[in-house]
Amino acid sequence: MTTKMVDKQQKRWRKILYEDQSVPDNYVDSSFLDELQKNLHTRKYDYWTVCEQSGEVTQQISSLGLFVVAYVYMENGWLSPHTLFTITTTLTCIGYLLKVYIDHYYQDTTSNRTLLDDIKTALVFAGFSYGLSPVLVSLTETISTDTIYAMTAMMLLGNLVFHHYGANAALVSEALSLNAGLFASVCLASRLHTTWHSFSTVTFSIEIFGLWPMLRRNLRKHIPQTQRWLTFLLMIITSMLLWTFSTVAAIFYITLFLFITFICPAWLVSLQPLKNNIHGPWDEAVIEEKKVS
Amino acid sequence: MNNCLSLRRHNVCMVSDFFYPNMGGVESHIYQLSQCLLEKGHKVIIMTHFYGDRKGVRYLTNGLKVYYLPFPAFYNQCILPTIYITFPLVRNILIKEQITIVHGHSAFSTLAHETMFHARTMGLKTVFTDHSLFGFADASSILTNKILQFSLADCNHVICVSHTSKENTVLRAGLDPKEVSVIPNAVDATMFVPDPSKRHPGKITVVVVSRLVYRKGMDLLAGIIPDVCQTHPDVQFIIGGDGPKRILLEEVRERHELHDRVKMLGLLEHRKVRDVLVQGDILINTSLTEAFCIAIVEAACCGLQVVSTKVGGVPEVLPPDLIYLAEPNDQSLREELERAIADKRAGRNVPPFMAHNRIKLLYTWRDVAHRTERVYKRVADLVERETKERLSRYYSCGPLSGKLFVIAAVLNIWFMCFLQIFQPRQKIEISPELQRSHILKSNANQKNSKEEQRSQKRTLLECEDSLTNGTSSKILRRSNRKRTKSKEEL
Repeated sequence: MTTKMVDKQQKRWRKILYEDQSVPDNYVDSSFLDELQKNLHTRKYDYWTVCEQSGEVTQQISSLGLFVVAYVYMENGWLSPHTLFTITTTLTCIGYLLKVYIDHYYQDTTSNRTLLDDIKTALVFAGFSYGLSPVLVSLTETISTDTIYAMTAMMLLGNLVFHHYGANAALVSEALSLNAGLFASVCLASRLHTTWHSFSTVTFSIEIFGLWPMLRRNLRKHIPQTQRWLTFLLMIITSMLLWTFSTVAAIFYITLFLFITFICPAWLVSLQPLKNNIHGPWDEAVIEEKKVS
Repeated sequence: MNNCLSLRRHNVCMVSDFFYPNMGGVESHIYQLSQCLLEKGHKVIIMTHFYGDRKGVRYLTNGLKVYYLPFPAFYNQCILPTIYITFPLVRNILIKEQITIVHGHSAFSTLAHETMFHARTMGLKTVFTDHSLFGFADASSILTNKILQFSLADCNHVICVSHTSKENTVLRAGLDPKEVSVIPNAVDATMFVPDPSKRHPGKITVVVVSRLVYRKGMDLLAGIIPDVCQTHPDVQFIIGGDGPKRILLEEVRERHELHDRVKMLGLLEHRKVRDVLVQGDILINTSLTEAFCIAIVEAACCGLQVVSTKVGGVPEVLPPDLIYLAEPNDQSLREELERAIADKRAGRNVPPFMAHNRIKLLYTWRDVAHRTERVYKRVADLVERETKERLSRYYSCGPLSGKLFVIAAVLNIWFMCFLQIFQPRQKIEISPELQRSHILKSNANQKNSKEEQRSQKRTLLECEDSLTNGTSSKILRRSNRKRTKSKEEL
């Protein structure tokens, strides 16, 4: 009897339930938690790569800055709506040609839209914006300027929060982000006085919130080396334009830019070793998306 | 009989949000365990929240008393977490029934956590059984794990259904692994007897009995059905169960024109499960996560070969000759299923009644009750912790949460002092017990055939006698009135 017991004790304990292993129910084997794994999918970040990739955020902030700059310039009478319209349309045409070139060169045509389709869409948008601009200019006229500014600030923040920076998070919603931007432009349009003002503001907002991020994404995907120069260029233009009417805004913008580009990545890299993600047999299995069809 | 009574008797209160008329793993676990403990001579009552018209006190088979408490279900059959609101009524019942051990079930159940918390405040011993696995990756699991840590910080003993589940719970709640026992689930073998005559001769039938939801891996199943049907013309599938993924399986059946090969039965009653299982040669389980998986044990008990994904506690459950383990992906699952089909054709599988006889001895409710009883004994022998030690256990839960937990625990102690003033313990009427001798006598008559008696017990549950004891429901009502009165005084 005793020898038998000793035999059983010596037999290695196995992680099974279908055999009585003559150990108490609360027995803890030395193999306990052997299958525990830590930080399986943790990525190692390189500081300078993260710095460069933070450009995705700062580019969007710069774009918002340019939009605000255009409004302030028109409000002060330094910029006529016609000039704004001409500049933005020209830039959009250049951007469009660039897109066609990229699509052609890298054979990346996800949709089968033709040039005609795009022109049609552009004309429809322009036509509607022009037709509706008398309405837009007076739509929020009765609302006080403070409220308008507060709403615009909220909407621009919303645009930043929901913008698609390339990560698939639950928060990301391109439609919401674009709509917030357009709403901001409609709010601001009523503070300017002619229908041309409101027309050029709205078209500018469509271009800068709708088309510009798409072009940037294309560039990032196919010609990534453009990114750091684009970020830098946008930063220079925006800060100089801001400087012309508000030193505080320009300094604030530059500080924010430096914070996001250099300090946040350092922060991320330094916090990475603290990551403590536990994996084990209790994790829910993930189905690889292969074929269900 | 003498032998039974000479053992130390515990007054146990099982508590969970999940109980009959709800049907599922936790529900039947509580019921079966309670029945076996009653049989061993312990006093067992069950506490749950009300279900529809089922309110107040009910008696189930063998005088198993169930309190359906007046707290409405809030989310997923659980009551609204309020911590304190449940205390007066719970305290009343625990005193009235002279409970010594509170046994909570399921990590999802709010009522179980709250009752255990109150029981600890009152100085009663608590045991908790965890039936599920949790991840650590997302925000919701971080929150639920923190709540579990709070609930188990002062719990006397924890029971898990598999070794994997134990590892998981120890990590989630930061427990000492010695305070956690592994007691597997069980099956009622009398309900799952093989019947090879019901099989489809000349065909190989693959059975699926499961809720048709994502976590049960229905996407994997939908991926392998067409391929297997194509390569093996004699294979047919029978799918029992319902859920959001049913439409996916129906789509696959439609697209590949497999109506004569894939039979879908829809929602199955628990007692019909056996009738479906015995028609099959192979059961396939595609779960993505599983603490124990009773379905594969039931199938093996019915003499089926089991093919299953190798997740959670599944590899621990069945001996290797009864189960084919696959990685949770299309290819591996298909390979293992084809291996099982080939073995079946060649007659290499374990004969149904041999498998049945093995499972019958492996996982029995009596064994579960016996092992749970050992846990109760261990817990009852523990020296009661001092308040200081209890609070320091809460305090060590975390830098911020620890302080919050201490505040919650101290508030509960104060609340108990108030309750003691407004509804003194001495004034709470002790509930009269159902004459145990009657039950034991009627049991003794049937003792010659235990199997028969146990299966009868089960059928009795289903036609559940609404033998609502007039006096005790009156007591409950009175205590409710008292409770509202004491609240007004407060």
